[in-house]
Formats: sequence, C-alpha cells, structure tokens
Amino acid sequence: MTPAVTFQHVSRHFGSVRAVDGVDLTIAEGSFFAMLGPSGSGKTTCLRLISGFEKPTGGTIHIFGDDVSNTPPHLRNVNTVFQDYALFPHMNVRDNVAYGLMVKGVGRAARYGKADEMLALVKLDTYGDRKPSQLSGGQRQRVALARALVNEPRVLLLDEPLGALDLKLREAMQDELKTLQQRLGITFVFVTHDQGEALSMADNLAVFNEGKIAQIGTPEEVYAKPRTRFVADFVGSSNVLPPDITRSLGGPTAWSSLRPESLHLTAPGGALLSGPVTSLRYLGAGNRITIAAPGGAEIAAVIPAGQPVPETGQTIGLTFVPAALHVRGSA
Amino acid sequence: MTAIPAVLPERGLADRLTGLFWRRPNVLLALAIAPPLIWLGVVYVGSLAALLLQSFYSIDEFSGVVVPEFTLKTYAELFRPQNFDIIWRTLLMSALVTLASAIIAFPIAYFAARYAKGRWKAVFYLGVMLPLWSSYLVKVYAWKLILAKEGIVTWVAEKLGAGFVIDAILAIPAIGGNSLSTSYIGTFIVFVYVWLPFMILPMQASLERVPTSMLEASADLGATRSQTFRTVILPLALPGVIAGSIFTFSLTMGDYIIPQIVGTSARFIGLAVYQQQGTAGNLPLAAAFAVVPIVIMLVYLALAKRAGAFDAL
Repeated sequence: MTPAVTFQHVSRHFGSVRAVDGVDLTIAEGSFFAMLGPSGSGKTTCLRLISGFEKPTGGTIHIFGDDVSNTPPHLRNVNTVFQDYALFPHMNVRDNVAYGLMVKGVGRAARYGKADEMLALVKLDTYGDRKPSQLSGGQRQRVALARALVNEPRVLLLDEPLGALDLKLREAMQDELKTLQQRLGITFVFVTHDQGEALSMADNLAVFNEGKIAQIGTPEEVYAKPRTRFVADFVGSSNVLPPDITRSLGGPTAWSSLRPESLHLTAPGGALLSGPVTSLRYLGAGNRITIAAPGGAEIAAVIPAGQPVPETGQTIGLTFVPAALHVRGSA
Repeated sequence: MTAIPAVLPERGLADRLTGLFWRRPNVLLALAIAPPLIWLGVVYVGSLAALLLQSFYSIDEFSGVVVPEFTLKTYAELFRPQNFDIIWRTLLMSALVTLASAIIAFPIAYFAARYAKGRWKAVFYLGVMLPLWSSYLVKVYAWKLILAKEGIVTWVAEKLGAGFVIDAILAIPAIGGNSLSTSYIGTFIVFVYVWLPFMILPMQASLERVPTSMLEASADLGATRSQTFRTVILPLALPGVIAGSIFTFSLTMGDYIIPQIVGTSARFIGLAVYQQQGTAGNLPLAAAFAVVPIVIMLVYLALAKRAGAFDAL
C-alpha cells in the first residue's frame, strides 16, 4: 500500500533558521497521525509543506506516491482546517462549505446539495444561511471541517484545530474527530502542542523538537519508552533520572525515565526512593507531589484521589514495579 | 503594624473628576463629543442645508436679485444643453479617473499590505504621502509643463522616435487636441496623479485586514489566483475600494482648478459653481450645481450597498 505522505530528508530553512531540518516521515493511508511539539518546533511548517504553502529547501515530499515538488496548493487533493478557521466572512455558512466545489465549476444545485450533506455530517444542517460571525467558536470549527471535507481530500490537515476551544468542548470535539476519521477513512494529519490530545487521538505520532523529529511511533511507545530526554519531559512530564540514580534503583549505568503515575507511596524505610516532600499540587483526580531524593534529583509522583496525602516537608518513600523504569541508550 | 488603607483619599480635582466619570460614564462621552457634534451638526450640516435651500430659490432675470420663493425652476435649468453637458462631462471624467486610480492603486496597495515590512512600509507611506505635502497648484503647473507641446513627454517621445504615438493619441477625436496639456487626456492624467493617494491609502487599509490564512484557505480549496482575487480578495477589499472611490470621485467632481490649467478649458461642475456664484451672481444655480455631486454620490453609495459592497464590514 502506498503511504499517504512521505518526507525524504525534507528541510525548510528561513535564512539561518532551520524550521524543518532533514525530516524523514511516512504517514500510512487511513491513519490518524499527530505532529506533537512545542511552538517553533517545526510541526506547523511540516503541515504547510504538505499543503504546499511552504516549499522545501531540501528533500522531496510524496503524496500517495506523487512527487509534489512542483505542484501548487490548489492542485493538491489535500485540504486544511486552519487554526483560525479562515472562514470567508462575506459568505454564509453554506457558501463557505460549497466554496471548494464552486471554484471547481460544480453547478449551484449540486454544490449546495453536497454542502448541506457535509453540514449534516458536522451536525450543523440548520445553520447554512447564517454568517460565520453569528456562530460560536465550536460551530465555526465544524464549518471549517465541513468546508475542508467537501472536496473529498485524500489527506485532511488539521492545524491546532481545537486550540481556541474551551476544555469541555475540546474533549467533545476530540471524540467527534476521531469518530469522523474512522467513518470516512481519510488520512488525518493533526498538529497540536497538547500531548494529551495527541496521545488520545492518534494512531501514530511524531514528536518534534527544533525542526527535527525526536521520536515517532504509537502513543503507547512514545509515552512508555521515550527515546530522548526531551520526549520524556514533553510527553507527560516524566521523571528523567541520571545514570547514577538509575543504577541505585537497580538499573544499568544509563539515563532512564519514570512516569509520575507509576510511583506509589510507601514507608520511607527500605523504599527505593525516599526524601522530604518539597511541593504538593492538587489536580482534582489526585495529587501531584515532588520529593527531593538523595543525589539532588527531584522526583514527581501522582497519588490517586482517596489515598492519604502527605504534608510538605514530611519524609516519604516511593516504590514502583521494575518494568516501569525505562532505560535509554543516551540522553 | 500600620494599617494600609483599603480606600485611598482623593487628592484633588483630577481624582474627583475621574470618580465622576467612573460613576457617570456618559458625562465624559458628552464632554468629548459635544464640540465635534456642534461643528458637524451646526457649521457643517447647517451650511449644507442652507445651500440646499438656496438651490430651491431662483433669480429674477431682469434685476438679478434672488427671489426667496420655493421653485424647481433652477433645477430645470440644469437640464439645458449647455448645463447638462457640464454635468455629463464631469460625471464621465470622475468615473474614468476613479476607475484608472483603482486599477493603478490596487497593485501598490496590495504590495504594501502583503509584502512591505518595516523599512519598506515606511518607504511606501512616504512615497504615497510625499506628493500631498507639496502645493497642489505647484504640482498642477508642473504637469502643465510636463505635458506641454515643448514639454519633456513630447521631447522624450521624439528622441526615442516614438513621436508618432503621441500624435496618434492626440489625433483621437473628442479626447485628443493640440498637445497633451490642452486635451482631455491631459486633464485626466493630472486628475489621476493628484487623487491617487486617496485611493491607495483606504485600499491598503482594507487589504491589510484580509488575513493571509483566508487566501491560503481559498487556494487550499482549489481556487486559482484569479478565482481567489474575484471571490475573496475583491469582496473583502471592496469597502476600501468604495471608500477610495468616494474620495477620487467627489474630489474630481468638485475640482475647478485642474480643468482650468490643464485641458481644453471646457467647463466642469466646479468651475460652473465658481462662475455662477462669482461672475454671473446666480447663487441659486450655483447651489443647484453643487447639489448634483451630492446626489450622484448618494446614488452611487446606494448602488454599492445594494451590490453588497459593505457586507464584509
């Protein structure tokens, strides 16, 4: 099966700034692929390289096997849901959704029929006559989605589409996007800086850092076995342990990582890790505590709600099952 | 421990006034807009109403005295051939000047809005505004010299062996003439030159408000550049184009100096108003002439509104 998108050593430099630097990437057809990273890490530039709004300064990009180096955006059967939605303010919702068909010369009746179908898909069938300014943020987001899907793209690109929504709406949209993607079978490429969003929605994800891919894999792999210190820190804020502490915990002399939720409270005597509690933060679903372990390491742990919470300054012990300690080759 | 007061004491008039404005926000608003309202309402609209009133009077043809009685006679005079010609000529010239300004201004405004950054933006503003800082009369006379038979345009054309092009242009009936500076073409060129900044600036402001992502969305959905221009850029920039065209259109309609200096010395509305209220002493007819551009602008705005020019506002 031809992959939906492949990057072969793709770079995009802006003067001396290496926004994307030698990225190799394969996105399987029909998958939900997330590009995760902090702002300025190159993930949005990668998305724009697929849509054609940026041209690579090096390397080649293939979309379903076709080299798109010389293909302008309007000839790529790839559509984008923009971060600011970019709805046309002078058109009503139906004309916005039908726009892609209009510019392709589809007749009025046919394109409005298809547009209404798409609006029904995003549950906005009664909103066709409104102007975008009369809609809420969540509704605009759905219109942008319907507009991007009307052309039946081979790949749908989503640039932080949920960034402007409040938490409750965001969670609902996450479920909806996932369901929609499975129903339509279109390849979704999703850019986000929210690691929770990437982990919960993606089949595969790439973690970007400074223009390069730090790690690529399934959410489980990336979360449980971060390959670099950056990934460990960025995806779920892992405890990153230097080699001497790894060895003291029964591992080899190498960098390792430990997830805060894999640590459990125990008595200080004889515990693998022990030290005074330096900070305590209430999370709603539990408490996050930090202890100062011997050797200067700060270790974070999450205690589920209902368990007794230690006080700041109190010395406690932490334990974990050996499999939770993930040892890496290098830092 | 000394207690720090939760409420600070008033220190003087400024504190008391600020307090008053906080309790009654409308007081500040009223103080701020009263002077301009008086200016606009009384001085500006008031004199306009007086003008309108004047146009419904007529002049006694023997004594030359204004008869202050309501009549439509003066308006009927506008439709006499020699007067109607003036209106028609002015309208046509204003429309052509506006169209040409819009066509020339668009690329400049688009460049300034989309691509000019930092220093280049300053260069743009300076370039557009600089001509406005020098005297209008100096510029018009300079153009008269530039376009004259012995002027630089004809001279360069002849040196390049392209003198026949100018001759061919001047040979066009109705708009041609003896030289560029004594033809309608000359008047047109100078009008476009003088009013162009008034088209560029509002156009640039409206283009600046079109986000790049909207142009990208259009291309992303399959639109060619010309489709994006027609269906996205132009509708969104239209309020700016209309604003600019109001300037160029009404400024051309009201101007009475340029056609006197450069051109065929055929009369335009501005000159007609000038002569009617001055030499001829026919104030009602001058007023009626002055009402024409107002009516034309109102019709133009109504048409633009109906065409949806302000939907994107």
